[in-house]
Amino acid sequence: MTPSLLRQALVLVALAFLPGIGEAIYYRDKVSWQSPIPASEMVTLTQARAWGENTIWVDARPDEEFARDHVPGAISLNEDRWNELLPQFLEKWSPEKRTVVYCSSQSCNASREVARRLRAEAQLKNVFVLEGGWEEWLKKK
Amino acid sequence: MKTGIFAFTLSIFVCFSARAELKWEQTQVELRPAVGDKEAVGHFKYENTGDKPVRFKSIRTSCGCTVAQTQKEEVPPGEKGEITATLKIGGRTGTQVKAVTVDTDDPAHAVTVLTLKAILPDMLEITPTFVYWTDHEAPKPKTVVVHPGKNFAVKELKVTSSNLEFSAKVERKNVAGDFKIDIEPKQTTRPAETTLTIQPDDSAKIFYVNARVMNAPAPQ
Repeated sequence: MTPSLLRQALVLVALAFLPGIGEAIYYRDKVSWQSPIPASEMVTLTQARAWGENTIWVDARPDEEFARDHVPGAISLNEDRWNELLPQFLEKWSPEKRTVVYCSSQSCNASREVARRLRAEAQLKNVFVLEGGWEEWLKKK
Repeated sequence: MKTGIFAFTLSIFVCFSARAELKWEQTQVELRPAVGDKEAVGHFKYENTGDKPVRFKSIRTSCGCTVAQTQKEEVPPGEKGEITATLKIGGRTGTQVKAVTVDTDDPAHAVTVLTLKAILPDMLEITPTFVYWTDHEAPKPKTVVVHPGKNFAVKELKVTSSNLEFSAKVERKNVAGDFKIDIEPKQTTRPAETTLTIQPDDSAKIFYVNARVMNAPAPQ
């Protein structure tokens, strides 16, 4: 490869980066759709099932979706009726139990938000988000 | 050569002659609902500046809490309209960012993502919102700290317990306007629970703290 070709290639690569850099600067204060969540706070369906009776399943989907179907024994806790539903969840909660929160699918954000509030506001430990959500449950029913 | 020039001219002509173009007045809307509002509604205005109608194929939202709808399914050339996105506030707090994905048959802008940002007023920040005592734990008070949000000054907190087996004592914690609530159960030998309602001054907005004495662990 001649030096001029290499130079041209480098110029092209630099030009390709320009729009990306511009966008990163322009949208620097924009919040992403999914709040970042450490891998340690996610749980796979297989892991959660292995915890057995020691798991409290929390359904973060809207009431209508919960009424249609849900994980057997799950408690409804969504942000539409947070103040009404939280005491019902806390009645079932105990320190030795693990809480697994799910919403519709991998891309939904409700379970992340509910889990975040349980950890930050109620200061509960062992709160996890189910990878793949309800869709994953249906697949592996 | 002549054929090449003709093909090039024709392709340019085809590209620019029948153009559908939906122009958005804004694709991001920031809302600041007041305390007690039930919904936050964003309006995304559009205009078809092309000379072909544009049809909406689908409008999807990133959350079941947001509903979006358009005034018309098809926008004729030169016409204006808007998509309204309604966020149900419910028990949500803090900054909410929801996406509305609009699919159209306009090949140049087949997908547009609209952003609805709602900054919900946090009148009080309460930490923690849940306290508990294990079976036979010493029935000592546990403290909840109440911090008034930015732009909110709270003179007094009215705290009521739904269960008389728990008492709650409110004190001003510091000059910054924080309060502390000491919650104390009368006993920890049998299960009990309460919901404390917290009312800042005479506000219609009520906040909640839950307290519970746990059951004895089940025998193994």
